[in-house]
Amino acid sequence: MPLVAAAALPHTPQLLMRPDTEDRALVLRVHAAYARVERLLTAARPEAVVILGGDHVEGFFLDAVPAFAVYVGATASGQFGPYAYTFPVHEPLARHVLEAGIEREFDLLYTQDRRLDYAFYVPLHFAAPEPPVPIVPLHVNVYLPPQPTPRRCYAWGRALREILDGRPERVALVASGGLSHYPGTDRYASPDYEWDRQLLARLAEGRGAETARLTGEELDKAGNVELRTWITLLGAVGDARADVVCYEPSWHHGNAVVTWPVDRAASAR
Amino acid sequence: MTAHYRFPPAAAYPLNRCLFLLKSDAAYRARYLAAPETAMDALGVPAEARPALRAFERDRLVGLGAHPYLVFMADLRLAMERAPAAFERF
Repeated sequence: MPLVAAAALPHTPQLLMRPDTEDRALVLRVHAAYARVERLLTAARPEAVVILGGDHVEGFFLDAVPAFAVYVGATASGQFGPYAYTFPVHEPLARHVLEAGIEREFDLLYTQDRRLDYAFYVPLHFAAPEPPVPIVPLHVNVYLPPQPTPRRCYAWGRALREILDGRPERVALVASGGLSHYPGTDRYASPDYEWDRQLLARLAEGRGAETARLTGEELDKAGNVELRTWITLLGAVGDARADVVCYEPSWHHGNAVVTWPVDRAASAR
Repeated sequence: MTAHYRFPPAAAYPLNRCLFLLKSDAAYRARYLAAPETAMDALGVPAEARPALRAFERDRLVGLGAHPYLVFMADLRLAMERAPAAFERF
Protein backbone atom coordinates (compact mmCIF):
# COMPACT_ATOMS: atom_id res chain seq x y z
CA MET A 1 0.00 0.00 0.00
CA PRO A 2 1.63 3.30 -1.04
CA LEU A 3 1.86 6.09 1.49
CA VAL A 4 -1.43 7.91 1.99
CA ALA A 5 -0.02 11.21 3.26
CA ALA A 6 3.27 12.99 3.95
CA ALA A 7 3.91 16.12 5.99
CA ALA A 8 6.65 17.97 7.85
CA LEU A 9 5.82 19.93 10.98
CA PRO A 10 7.54 22.04 13.63
CA HIS A 11 7.56 21.05 17.28
CA THR A 12 8.91 23.95 19.28
CA PRO A 13 7.41 23.62 22.78
CA GLN A 14 6.45 27.30 22.82
CA LEU A 15 3.63 26.25 20.48
CA LEU A 16 2.29 24.04 23.26
CA MET A 17 3.09 26.27 26.24
CA ARG A 18 3.37 29.91 25.20
CA PRO A 19 5.47 32.21 27.36
CA ASP A 20 4.88 35.93 26.97
CA THR A 21 8.02 36.17 24.86
CA GLU A 22 6.08 34.60 21.98
CA ASP A 23 3.78 36.42 19.57
CA ARG A 24 0.34 34.95 20.25
CA ALA A 25 -1.00 35.69 16.76
CA LEU A 26 1.95 33.88 15.19
CA VAL A 27 1.46 30.88 17.46
CA LEU A 28 -2.20 30.71 16.46
CA ARG A 29 -1.31 30.89 12.76
CA VAL A 30 0.97 27.89 13.20
CA HIS A 31 -1.88 26.13 15.02
CA ALA A 32 -4.11 26.85 12.01
CA ALA A 33 -1.51 25.27 9.74
CA TYR A 34 -1.39 22.23 12.04
CA ALA A 35 -5.19 22.03 11.73
CA ARG A 36 -4.92 21.91 7.94
CA VAL A 37 -2.54 18.97 8.26
CA GLU A 38 -4.87 17.30 10.74
CA ARG A 39 -7.67 17.52 8.18
CA LEU A 40 -5.37 16.17 5.46
CA LEU A 41 -4.28 13.26 7.62
CA THR A 42 -7.84 12.50 8.72
CA ALA A 43 -9.04 12.50 5.11
CA ALA A 44 -6.25 10.09 4.18
CA ARG A 45 -7.63 7.53 6.69
CA PRO A 46 -4.25 6.19 7.82
CA GLU A 47 -4.03 3.08 9.96
CA ALA A 48 -0.69 4.22 11.38
CA VAL A 49 1.39 7.38 11.56
CA VAL A 50 5.11 6.82 11.11
CA ILE A 51 6.78 9.86 12.63
CA LEU A 52 10.43 10.85 12.20
CA GLY A 53 11.62 12.86 15.18
CA GLY A 54 14.91 14.40 16.18
CA ASP A 55 15.36 13.55 19.84
CA HIS A 56 16.34 16.51 22.05
CA VAL A 57 18.60 14.45 24.30
CA GLU A 58 15.50 13.04 25.99
CA GLY A 59 15.21 9.41 24.94
CA PHE A 60 18.91 9.15 24.16
CA PHE A 61 21.45 10.83 26.45
CA LEU A 62 25.20 10.38 26.20
CA ASP A 63 25.02 6.86 27.63
CA ALA A 64 23.94 5.62 24.18
CA VAL A 65 23.61 7.69 21.01
CA PRO A 66 22.18 5.92 17.97
CA ALA A 67 22.07 7.52 14.53
CA PHE A 68 18.67 5.98 13.81
CA ALA A 69 16.34 4.10 16.12
CA VAL A 70 12.93 2.43 16.01
CA TYR A 71 10.54 2.45 18.95
CA VAL A 72 9.07 -1.03 19.09
CA GLY A 73 7.43 -1.12 22.50
CA ALA A 74 3.72 -1.69 22.97
CA THR A 75 3.41 2.01 23.80
CA ALA A 76 5.62 5.09 23.72
CA SER A 77 5.36 7.75 26.41
CA GLY A 78 6.71 11.19 27.13
CA GLN A 79 6.07 14.17 29.34
CA PHE A 80 6.70 17.90 29.12
CA GLY A 81 5.62 19.92 32.12
CA PRO A 82 1.90 19.32 32.62
CA TYR A 83 1.56 17.46 29.32
CA ALA A 84 1.87 13.67 29.45
CA TYR A 85 1.33 11.38 26.50
CA THR A 86 1.16 7.66 25.93
CA PHE A 87 0.69 6.50 22.37
CA PRO A 88 0.01 2.95 21.25
CA VAL A 89 2.76 1.80 18.90
CA HIS A 90 1.76 -0.10 15.78
CA GLU A 91 3.90 -2.99 16.87
CA PRO A 92 3.72 -5.20 13.76
CA LEU A 93 4.59 -2.26 11.53
CA ALA A 94 7.34 -1.01 13.86
CA ARG A 95 8.89 -4.46 14.03
CA HIS A 96 8.72 -4.84 10.27
CA VAL A 97 10.38 -1.45 9.73
CA LEU A 98 13.16 -2.55 12.09
CA GLU A 99 13.67 -5.98 10.56
CA ALA A 100 13.37 -4.82 6.96
CA GLY A 101 15.67 -1.87 7.69
CA ILE A 102 18.30 -4.20 9.11
CA GLU A 103 17.91 -6.45 6.05
CA ARG A 104 18.64 -3.40 3.91
CA GLU A 105 21.83 -2.89 5.94
CA PHE A 106 20.72 0.07 8.02
CA ASP A 107 22.11 -0.80 11.45
CA LEU A 108 19.14 0.45 13.43
CA LEU A 109 18.94 0.60 17.19
CA TYR A 110 15.63 -0.42 18.66
CA THR A 111 14.04 0.31 21.99
CA GLN A 112 10.99 -0.90 23.83
CA ASP A 113 11.40 1.51 26.71
CA ARG A 114 13.04 4.86 25.90
CA ARG A 115 11.12 8.04 26.60
CA LEU A 116 9.47 9.85 23.77
CA ASP A 117 10.72 13.36 23.08
CA TYR A 118 8.49 16.37 22.45
CA ALA A 119 9.64 16.31 18.84
CA PHE A 120 7.18 13.45 18.50
CA TYR A 121 4.26 14.54 20.61
CA VAL A 122 3.97 18.27 19.89
CA PRO A 123 3.05 17.65 16.23
CA LEU A 124 0.76 14.79 17.26
CA HIS A 125 -0.90 17.01 19.90
CA PHE A 126 -2.01 19.40 17.17
CA ALA A 127 -2.17 17.40 13.94
CA ALA A 128 -2.89 13.73 14.71
CA PRO A 129 -5.67 12.30 12.56
CA GLU A 130 -9.12 11.60 13.94
CA PRO A 131 -9.77 8.98 15.12
CA PRO A 132 -6.33 8.47 16.66
CA VAL A 133 -4.23 5.65 15.22
CA PRO A 134 -1.13 3.86 16.49
CA ILE A 135 2.23 5.41 15.72
CA VAL A 136 5.71 4.24 14.84
CA PRO A 137 8.30 6.67 16.25
CA LEU A 138 11.55 6.72 14.29
CA HIS A 139 14.43 8.54 15.93
CA VAL A 140 17.04 10.47 13.96
CA ASN A 141 20.05 11.86 15.86
CA VAL A 142 20.13 15.58 15.18
CA TYR A 143 21.72 17.19 18.25
CA LEU A 144 24.61 14.97 19.35
CA PRO A 145 27.58 15.03 16.96
CA PRO A 146 28.53 13.14 14.95
CA GLN A 147 25.05 12.99 13.45
CA PRO A 148 24.15 10.90 10.39
CA THR A 149 24.98 12.59 7.10
CA PRO A 150 22.17 14.07 4.98
CA ARG A 151 23.03 11.49 2.31
CA ARG A 152 22.52 8.67 4.79
CA CYS A 153 19.24 10.18 6.01
CA TYR A 154 18.00 10.41 2.44
CA ALA A 155 19.00 6.80 1.76
CA TRP A 156 17.19 5.66 4.92
CA GLY A 157 14.10 7.52 3.72
CA ARG A 158 14.22 5.81 0.34
CA ALA A 159 14.51 2.43 2.01
CA LEU A 160 11.71 3.34 4.37
CA ARG A 161 9.43 4.13 1.45
CA GLU A 162 10.10 0.70 -0.07
CA ILE A 163 9.44 -0.93 3.27
CA LEU A 164 6.19 0.97 3.89
CA ASP A 165 4.92 0.50 0.34
CA GLY A 166 5.23 -3.24 0.83
CA ARG A 167 2.92 -3.24 3.84
CA PRO A 168 -0.85 -3.75 3.85
CA GLU A 169 -1.51 -0.79 6.18
CA ARG A 170 -2.42 2.72 5.08
CA VAL A 171 0.50 4.76 6.43
CA ALA A 172 0.98 8.50 6.88
CA LEU A 173 4.59 9.65 7.12
CA VAL A 174 5.38 12.73 9.21
CA ALA A 175 8.71 14.47 9.78
CA SER A 176 9.05 16.64 12.87
CA GLY A 177 11.58 19.43 13.06
CA GLY A 178 12.96 22.71 11.86
CA LEU A 179 13.37 24.98 10.37
CA SER A 180 16.21 27.33 11.32
CA HIS A 181 16.82 27.75 15.04
CA TYR A 182 19.81 27.60 17.36
CA PRO A 183 18.58 26.67 20.83
CA GLY A 184 21.11 27.31 23.56
CA THR A 185 23.58 29.18 21.38
CA ASP A 186 24.48 32.81 20.88
CA ARG A 187 22.56 32.77 17.60
CA TYR A 188 19.25 31.93 19.27
CA ALA A 189 17.71 35.27 18.33
CA SER A 190 18.93 35.28 14.73
CA PRO A 191 17.75 32.26 12.73
CA ASP A 192 18.71 32.03 9.07
CA TYR A 193 15.30 32.80 7.55
CA GLU A 194 16.73 33.37 4.09
CA TRP A 195 18.24 29.90 4.07
CA ASP A 196 14.84 28.51 5.05
CA ARG A 197 13.04 30.41 2.30
CA GLN A 198 15.47 29.20 -0.33
CA LEU A 199 15.02 25.64 0.93
CA LEU A 200 11.23 25.87 0.81
CA ALA A 201 11.39 27.30 -2.73
CA ARG A 202 13.50 24.33 -3.82
CA LEU A 203 11.11 21.88 -2.17
CA ALA A 204 8.13 23.54 -3.88
CA GLU A 205 9.92 22.98 -7.19
CA GLY A 206 10.31 19.29 -6.44
CA ARG A 207 14.04 19.52 -5.79
CA GLY A 208 14.04 17.67 -2.49
CA ALA A 209 16.76 15.26 -3.60
CA GLU A 210 19.23 18.16 -3.51
CA THR A 211 19.06 18.12 0.29
CA ALA A 212 20.94 14.82 0.26
CA ARG A 213 23.99 16.76 -0.97
CA LEU A 214 24.01 19.16 1.96
CA THR A 215 26.76 18.67 4.53
CA GLY A 216 26.43 18.41 8.26
CA GLU A 217 28.46 21.61 8.55
CA GLU A 218 26.00 23.46 6.32
CA LEU A 219 23.07 22.27 8.43
CA ASP A 220 24.76 23.35 11.65
CA LYS A 221 25.67 26.75 10.20
CA ALA A 222 22.08 27.35 9.02
CA GLY A 223 20.51 26.30 12.31
CA ASN A 224 18.99 23.34 10.55
CA VAL A 225 20.46 20.30 12.29
CA GLU A 226 16.88 19.05 12.58
CA LEU A 227 16.44 19.08 8.81
CA ARG A 228 17.75 15.51 8.94
CA THR A 229 14.21 14.33 9.70
CA TRP A 230 12.88 16.24 6.70
CA ILE A 231 15.67 14.86 4.51
CA THR A 232 14.71 11.36 5.59
CA LEU A 233 11.12 12.07 4.60
CA LEU A 234 12.33 13.55 1.31
CA GLY A 235 14.04 10.26 0.58
CA ALA A 236 10.61 8.69 0.92
CA VAL A 237 8.61 11.17 -1.18
CA GLY A 238 11.24 11.63 -3.90
CA ASP A 239 10.92 14.71 -6.07
CA ALA A 240 7.26 15.42 -5.35
CA ARG A 241 6.54 19.13 -5.22
CA ALA A 242 5.96 20.36 -1.71
CA ASP A 243 2.94 22.41 -0.72
CA VAL A 244 4.17 24.99 1.79
CA VAL A 245 1.22 25.42 4.15
CA CYS A 246 2.97 28.09 6.19
CA TYR A 247 6.30 29.64 6.99
CA GLU A 248 6.09 31.66 10.19
CA PRO A 249 9.42 33.04 11.38
CA SER A 250 9.34 33.94 15.04
CA TRP A 251 12.17 35.83 16.75
CA HIS A 252 13.98 32.53 17.32
CA HIS A 253 12.48 29.90 15.05
CA GLY A 254 11.50 29.34 11.42
CA ASN A 255 8.19 27.50 11.80
CA ALA A 256 7.37 25.65 8.59
CA VAL A 257 4.46 23.36 7.83
CA VAL A 258 4.74 21.48 4.55
CA THR A 259 2.86 18.64 2.90
CA TRP A 260 3.60 16.51 -0.10
CA PRO A 261 0.85 15.16 -2.34
CA VAL A 262 1.70 11.49 -2.33
CA ASP A 263 -0.13 10.83 -5.60
CA ARG A 264 2.33 13.18 -7.24
CA ALA A 265 5.07 11.58 -5.17
CA ALA A 266 4.08 8.20 -6.55
CA SER A 267 4.06 9.46 -10.12
CA ALA A 268 7.38 11.23 -9.73
CA ARG A 269 9.22 8.15 -8.54
CA MET B 1 33.65 28.01 11.43
CA THR B 2 33.00 26.82 14.96
CA ALA B 3 30.04 24.47 15.05
CA HIS B 4 27.08 25.41 17.19
CA TYR B 5 26.73 21.83 18.43
CA ARG B 6 29.96 20.00 19.16
CA PHE B 7 30.95 16.57 20.41
CA PRO B 8 30.51 16.68 24.18
CA PRO B 9 33.86 15.88 25.82
CA ALA B 10 33.93 12.95 28.21
CA ALA B 11 35.29 15.19 30.97
CA ALA B 12 32.00 17.12 30.90
CA TYR B 13 29.85 14.01 31.34
CA PRO B 14 28.88 14.75 34.99
CA LEU B 15 27.97 18.32 34.08
CA ASN B 16 25.93 17.21 31.06
CA ARG B 17 24.28 14.50 33.11
CA CYS B 18 23.25 17.08 35.69
CA LEU B 19 21.80 19.31 32.96
CA PHE B 20 20.05 16.32 31.40
CA LEU B 21 18.44 15.37 34.71
CA LEU B 22 17.41 18.97 35.42
CA LYS B 23 15.75 18.95 32.00
CA SER B 24 14.15 15.53 32.07
CA ASP B 25 13.86 14.15 35.61
CA ALA B 26 11.28 15.86 37.82
CA ALA B 27 12.50 14.12 40.99
CA TYR B 28 16.09 15.24 40.43
CA ARG B 29 14.92 18.75 39.59
CA ALA B 30 13.06 18.90 42.91
CA ARG B 31 16.15 17.66 44.77
CA TYR B 32 18.29 20.26 43.02
CA LEU B 33 15.90 23.08 43.84
CA ALA B 34 15.84 22.00 47.50
CA ALA B 35 19.59 21.42 47.89
CA PRO B 36 21.69 22.16 44.79
CA GLU B 37 25.09 21.32 46.26
CA THR B 38 23.89 17.93 47.48
CA ALA B 39 22.28 17.21 44.11
CA MET B 40 25.50 18.16 42.29
CA ASP B 41 27.55 16.07 44.74
CA ALA B 42 25.51 13.03 43.80
CA LEU B 43 26.61 13.33 40.18
CA GLY B 44 30.20 14.42 40.77
CA VAL B 45 29.77 17.81 39.13
CA PRO B 46 33.23 19.41 39.40
CA ALA B 47 33.65 22.44 41.64
CA GLU B 48 34.74 24.66 38.74
CA ALA B 49 31.40 24.15 36.99
CA ARG B 50 29.14 24.78 39.96
CA PRO B 51 29.02 28.60 40.05
CA ALA B 52 28.29 28.72 36.31
CA LEU B 53 25.64 26.05 36.68
CA ARG B 54 23.92 27.77 39.57
CA ALA B 55 23.83 31.01 37.61
CA PHE B 56 23.18 29.31 34.25
CA GLU B 57 26.02 31.20 32.62
CA ARG B 58 25.64 29.70 29.18
CA ASP B 59 28.95 30.68 27.64
CA ARG B 60 30.91 29.50 30.65
CA LEU B 61 29.02 26.20 30.76
CA VAL B 62 29.47 25.61 27.05
CA GLY B 63 33.15 26.44 27.47
CA LEU B 64 33.31 23.68 30.07
CA GLY B 65 31.85 21.20 27.58
CA ALA B 66 28.13 21.49 28.33
CA HIS B 67 25.83 20.83 25.42
CA PRO B 68 24.12 24.15 24.53
CA TYR B 69 20.70 22.59 24.14
CA LEU B 70 20.90 21.00 27.59
CA VAL B 71 21.83 24.35 29.14
CA PHE B 72 18.92 26.01 27.36
CA MET B 73 16.25 23.47 28.25
CA ALA B 74 17.41 22.78 31.81
CA ASP B 75 17.13 26.51 32.47
CA LEU B 76 13.68 26.62 30.87
CA ARG B 77 12.43 23.62 32.83
CA LEU B 78 13.54 25.22 36.09
CA ALA B 79 11.70 28.40 35.04
CA MET B 80 8.58 26.35 34.32
CA GLU B 81 8.89 24.83 37.78
CA ARG B 82 9.24 28.19 39.48
CA ALA B 83 6.47 30.02 37.58
CA PRO B 84 4.10 27.60 35.85
CA ALA B 85 1.36 30.21 35.50
CA ALA B 86 3.56 32.26 33.18
CA PHE B 87 2.70 29.99 30.26
CA GLU B 88 -0.46 29.86 28.15
CA ARG B 89 -1.32 26.23 27.57
CA PHE B 90 -2.87 24.88 24.38
